[in-house]
Amino acid sequence: MRLLYAEALKVRTAPRTLIGLALGLVALAVLGAGSTASSGPSETPEGDAIATWDVLSVATTGVIFSLILGILVVTWEYRHGTITQTFLATPRRERVLGAKFVVALLSGVLLAVLCVVVVLVTATFWISLDLRREHWELIARIVLACALWGLLGAGLGALLQSQVGALVVVFVWFLVAEPLIAAQFDHFADYLPGNTLNRLTQHGAVEGVEQNGEDYSFGLWAAAFIAGAYALGVAALGTVSALKRDVN
Amino acid sequence: MIEVERLTKRYGKTVAVDDLTFRVTPSRITGFLGPNGAGKTTTLKAILGLVRPTSGTTRVLGRHYRDLDEPTRKVGAVLETSRYHPGRSGRNHLRVLAAQAGIPRARVEEVLQLVAMSREAKRRVGGYSLGMRQRLGLAAALLGDPELLILDEPANGLDPAGIRWLRDLLRALSARGRTILVSSHVLAEVEQIADEVVIIHRGRFVTQSSTAELAARASAGVRVRSPQAGRLRELLTSAGMSVVELNGGALAVSDGTPERVGELAAANDIVLHELTAEKATLEEAFLELTGGETTA
Repeated sequence: MRLLYAEALKVRTAPRTLIGLALGLVALAVLGAGSTASSGPSETPEGDAIATWDVLSVATTGVIFSLILGILVVTWEYRHGTITQTFLATPRRERVLGAKFVVALLSGVLLAVLCVVVVLVTATFWISLDLRREHWELIARIVLACALWGLLGAGLGALLQSQVGALVVVFVWFLVAEPLIAAQFDHFADYLPGNTLNRLTQHGAVEGVEQNGEDYSFGLWAAAFIAGAYALGVAALGTVSALKRDVN
Repeated sequence: MIEVERLTKRYGKTVAVDDLTFRVTPSRITGFLGPNGAGKTTTLKAILGLVRPTSGTTRVLGRHYRDLDEPTRKVGAVLETSRYHPGRSGRNHLRVLAAQAGIPRARVEEVLQLVAMSREAKRRVGGYSLGMRQRLGLAAALLGDPELLILDEPANGLDPAGIRWLRDLLRALSARGRTILVSSHVLAEVEQIADEVVIIHRGRFVTQSSTAELAARASAGVRVRSPQAGRLRELLTSAGMSVVELNGGALAVSDGTPERVGELAAANDIVLHELTAEKATLEEAFLELTGGETTA
């Protein structure tokens, strides 16, 4: 508990980074939600529900921010060398990392909630919200995705220790490597981390409206499970690596 | 207090620490000395559980550092690389550490006062001078009021007044029964405060002795100048002293005392223009022991 508090304090007392991230997130969410919502509801009975759905989809941007924040929670300690003092105070490194993983996970949840609230509030300027059961499910999926990707980021940070390195790996993987691999090996493309995440946050639709997106090899639960496995797997690798390596 | 036993650490082919064994006794100040690159920092990091030994063991207070409960309350450390998140204020940095160790916040203000940093505490660490960072590092080490302090080159970056302040602080802590292990590559920094020194070179143990013993080991000499240098030299040599002629005609006499040289000269009617006892410095002993390599 004490470690969790200390880790949370670390995040809170680095205001510039945090404010920067939050502002970026809010700006993106407002812009995205604004542009989506301003096109207005279509003239069908389901119009508001569809518009609300589309606006909510904008909140998936939070996933990227969670990933970055997760990376930062671990790597800024290595970057600034404070990891030395952290490990001196708590020589059982797995406890430190455990606390960081929890903080990254919870930060992901907070970012997701922030994102959802911002897009919904922004959207009310143009549309009247129509939140149905499937909307709440989508919100839950976004929160879950943000939490898992926060954990993934923290795990990757522990594995690579380098802030720039981890960020580069993330962007190269999701923007270049994964699409290339997916194009080459169609049959397991769905199981790649980026795609499981898309499955989790983007697919589906308001009930009674035609599904968007292509067929997937697995359902939502499976997507959540695979994404969780990725996050936990990377976190485990990161922990093992941090236990073995010397601190300089 | 600290036991290092047959510690070896290799980085690839480089051997940083080579079969090093020594002990640090309680309630004393021990200087840990060696030229740059001798393996001091690696050894300290191994003691603190930050570096995994290739072989050998290190113990602190009878245990591996990793197995200490509440290490912050038992061992305080300032490493050469003590670094901070530049965006955090000095006070917040200490608060984070205090929170980690379950130490009450009030203690943060106490240690800030102890290192004379109360006024700078709300500024961002990014704007601190090297000396201020060292002080903040010390403040962090003192947070848990530990019985053992491990300091790696704490005088680096301090100005002469700062070095004096540090010396006084360490003396005061030692007077209160704290055990201190302080590393340095400059013997002069440590010789005034250390009760004992451990010297290593190229990762290997060289010697461990009390500071006084080490000073005694350094060979004292006499410097003498005379218009009859040639004759004096013969006399001294035949009396069993070894003599070296210095630039400017002065003679450096080892294995002799000013009394013996003076009496010998008087007995033989030799005029002396200068007769000085050269105080042997620990620095010389240190250089001798570590193969005379530059320590700057």
